[in-house]
Amino acid sequence: MQEKGHEPFSFQSQTWERYQNNFSGMVVAPTGFGKTFSVFLAVVIDYLNHPDKYKKGLKLIWISPLRSLAKDLAKAMNDAVEEIGLDWAVEVRNGDTATKDRRRQERLMPDVLLTTPETLHLLFSQKKNARWFKNVTCIAVDEWHELLGSKRGVLTEIAISRIRNLSPKLRIWGISATIGNLEEAKEVLIPYDVKTTMIRAKEKKKIKITSLLPDQVEELSWAGHLGKQMSSKIIPIIYENTTTLIFTNTRNQSELWYQIIIDEEPDLIGQIAIHHGSIDKVQRNWIEEAISQGLLKAVVCTSSLDLGVDFKPVDCVIQIGSAKGIARFMQRAGRSGHSPFETSKMYAVPTHSLQLIEVAAVKEAVKQHEIEARQPYVLTYDILVQFLVTLAVGEGFKPEETYAFIKQIHAFHYLTKEEFDWCIHFITQGGNTLKSYEEFHKVVLEEDGFYRVKSRRIAMNHRMNIGVIVSEVILFVKFFSGGYIGMVEEYFISKLNKGDAFVLGGKVLEIQQIKDMTVLVKRSKKKKAITPSWMGGRLPLTSGLTHFLRLKLSDALTPNNRERELKFLYPLLKRQETNSHIPRHDEFLIEMIETKEGFHLFVYPFEGRLVHEIMASLIAYRISQIKKLTFTIAMNDYGFELLSDQEIPLTEENMNAIFSKENLIKDVTASINASEMASRKFRDIAVVAGLVIQTQPGKRKTNKSLQSSSGLLFRVLNDYEPSNLLLKQAYNEVFDYELEKVRLQAAFQRISKSKIILKKASNFTPLSFPLKVDSLRGTMSNEDLSKRIERIQKQALK
Amino acid sequence: MMQNISIISKTIWCNDEVLELTNQRVIYWKAKKSLILSDLHIGKSAHFQKSGIPIPTNVLTRDLERLKQLILHFKAENLIIVGDLFHAEYNSDLDEFKTWRIQFSNLSIQLIKGNHDRFSNSIYEQFQIEVFKKDLVLNCLKFVHDFVTPSTDYFTISGHTHPGVFIKGKGKQHIKLPCFQVTNTQLILPAFSLFTGLNTRNAPKNCKNYCFTNDGIFEI
Repeated sequence: MQEKGHEPFSFQSQTWERYQNNFSGMVVAPTGFGKTFSVFLAVVIDYLNHPDKYKKGLKLIWISPLRSLAKDLAKAMNDAVEEIGLDWAVEVRNGDTATKDRRRQERLMPDVLLTTPETLHLLFSQKKNARWFKNVTCIAVDEWHELLGSKRGVLTEIAISRIRNLSPKLRIWGISATIGNLEEAKEVLIPYDVKTTMIRAKEKKKIKITSLLPDQVEELSWAGHLGKQMSSKIIPIIYENTTTLIFTNTRNQSELWYQIIIDEEPDLIGQIAIHHGSIDKVQRNWIEEAISQGLLKAVVCTSSLDLGVDFKPVDCVIQIGSAKGIARFMQRAGRSGHSPFETSKMYAVPTHSLQLIEVAAVKEAVKQHEIEARQPYVLTYDILVQFLVTLAVGEGFKPEETYAFIKQIHAFHYLTKEEFDWCIHFITQGGNTLKSYEEFHKVVLEEDGFYRVKSRRIAMNHRMNIGVIVSEVILFVKFFSGGYIGMVEEYFISKLNKGDAFVLGGKVLEIQQIKDMTVLVKRSKKKKAITPSWMGGRLPLTSGLTHFLRLKLSDALTPNNRERELKFLYPLLKRQETNSHIPRHDEFLIEMIETKEGFHLFVYPFEGRLVHEIMASLIAYRISQIKKLTFTIAMNDYGFELLSDQEIPLTEENMNAIFSKENLIKDVTASINASEMASRKFRDIAVVAGLVIQTQPGKRKTNKSLQSSSGLLFRVLNDYEPSNLLLKQAYNEVFDYELEKVRLQAAFQRISKSKIILKKASNFTPLSFPLKVDSLRGTMSNEDLSKRIERIQKQALK
Repeated sequence: MMQNISIISKTIWCNDEVLELTNQRVIYWKAKKSLILSDLHIGKSAHFQKSGIPIPTNVLTRDLERLKQLILHFKAENLIIVGDLFHAEYNSDLDEFKTWRIQFSNLSIQLIKGNHDRFSNSIYEQFQIEVFKKDLVLNCLKFVHDFVTPSTDYFTISGHTHPGVFIKGKGKQHIKLPCFQVTNTQLILPAFSLFTGLNTRNAPKNCKNYCFTNDGIFEI
């Protein structure tokens, strides 16, 4: 490399040196500075220095969160290896790898394998898989910050521990972007008793953020997440730059924005593309290729392009709506101006007026370099259960040895022997510790002391279910004449009839037939078509951002000259102040409004949706202790709404008690048990633990007699087996006692020091309006079901 | 041992017959001293267990206990089951049913076969169940598993769909409950087993929904 005239960055040479000295560690560098080569070349150099210490077969396992990354990385590594004149094979293995290549790899593993956490677990489910991992000297985890805050992070932790168990001298290296808890991130990745180091690049990425404002404040609506009226401002930006990435937050938005842009500027047809996770892989690859070659002016995309290889021509990024977090905002900004010393250019487009405050908050956070932490998952019994079965399908396992290496994993540090035994019991006898199920023989203890799966059908079902990404039932969309377009959720298609038109991948399609989990379509000339909505993908605002949001709102009425967003919003904020109030930093606002719909209570803690969800059910619970009530709960990132058909007994006299920090945890626990939140969390857990069998897209529905919903299972287990650990996990995930407790207590601490301001408004205010129209909803009730029905009947008669 | 269930009923007329709908997912037909029910899915929990999905076995125990209380309460002499008595293959759940069956040796059971009922006749004989392949006609009532074509001569009683209803109230409230769906010519029974889902779509046109809770039954 050096011979080619590239002077290595100091963090790269530092990594190489530390690796030689047998360190494990983590490299923190912005994208575009060659962080891949810091770790990859470290292994190569070590090999060149001590070739005798290496055996045939797998030497380096490279884990990356995205499949699309692997292909280009492998190419870059292969080029490097060739240049050096090394006879290493660098290969990719993931869900896209052809069967014949997989079989070949199983006979002889390449020297370097680029893969995903799921594929590694799939390898563990194969017979005699240990032989592949015996001589692995290094595992590198790319984009560790992305994996860390998800259950895929736990899959990664487990995979590392298992391979370390087979190859004790393993060195572990993570590569991460800057996050708020880097030390913890390193601890989670390498919790072992080995020498570790943290290497931070001194190089910094420059970011320029500009918000796009409409000409008049009235042009922006109070709520909404499309921001269509801003399209005329976007077109000139597309023309000014070489290639622009337009980030939206959901796949649905990206489809709509693609249409908006080509309607506004038909000349762009052919130079603009759409890219999201439900678009066919082949087409996505083609688009990525086209971006690299500079063939496209703009691409409308979702988080599908958050990560990935450097797109050299991209020199501008537009974010539509809130990016929901400081780290994500910076990550996306970093996709433009990729080479080391260029400046990243980011335009923020608000979709509703309040979002401008968010933009001001992000700018402040970026300026102060405050990036939020990613919290690792702990005690995920569902993943442990899945992994134990994976081992049982593969080589079988001995409980003592397995418990020993599981305990070392950060996520299972506090796993007790009893809990581990429960998991073993769950997969061998079915979980009920009082009574075993006669017909249940998923995993069997054999005479040699190993637990194994004997049934081929169970093994096959399990292999198909490995992983933690739980999706809705997905259908492939295919032209009648052949050719895939993408995927939609069954839930969406079930509402349509034959001949109805919908939009996917920017194309208007007409349903012809649905067969074997595949929707057959033809192109439609219809003007009106429905855009599919995909569940999920709605991210909550992070705590880092909410902090800055409260600050900005507090001085919103007296903005300083440089904050054009707040100055622009002045008329709207004035209106909020006149009709109700703008909470200053030492105030806490509650609004009560009565409408035709019922009695609304709006509360604005500005803590992000996750915390609001728990606060809302807590406050609903406390109020319902005064009088039995049923609430519909709505929340967004700014606040929450409790809506009831009967008057809400909250007054100036009792409000301090209802928002009190006393008995917080006790009341939260009670309110979680009364709400539906745990049932929703159980959905993913049931799939990961193998209680619900997922149907693969494009495959014929086979397990019809085994179909059940996670909601039904949740109810059945709650009634018949309340001690089930997976249930416990569902309740824990609603309210992570270790993590959220701190945030919730801090919030109530803040409230207790604030002046609570209760305003009765006659109409929806700028703050309450978004909650009314655009939010997620749930229910909480402590009323008798029969009484509720009787009242609904009476109300209907009125 | 399970607590006593509360049985609340509502009487309706279907052509010339009087039927008592209950909040315990069965109809009592006094004229024939019969209980009418559907979709027991016996064997479902064991079938899941066999495939490596641990479902508590007491699901079936409680279903059968509920049925026992209903039989004793109404002093029923006959069960008319409109299909899906058994869920899948012969498994340990059926042994439990066999034991349960012995205590009611005088009780006759008539089964209209459902899409899940795939055993040979000898197995039904073991359980002393009289099997009807397609339908059963008694007085002006016709019993089938899945309602396909409307009949002008009879009032049709069916199951299969596991009907449920979505109740919407003021303040964006909604409640989902199992129900009986009744029109002028037909009635669809809710699934008897508690280990079943709900289908709130595909209700027949102009139907009345009788939904129920643990202590009430309501016409919606």
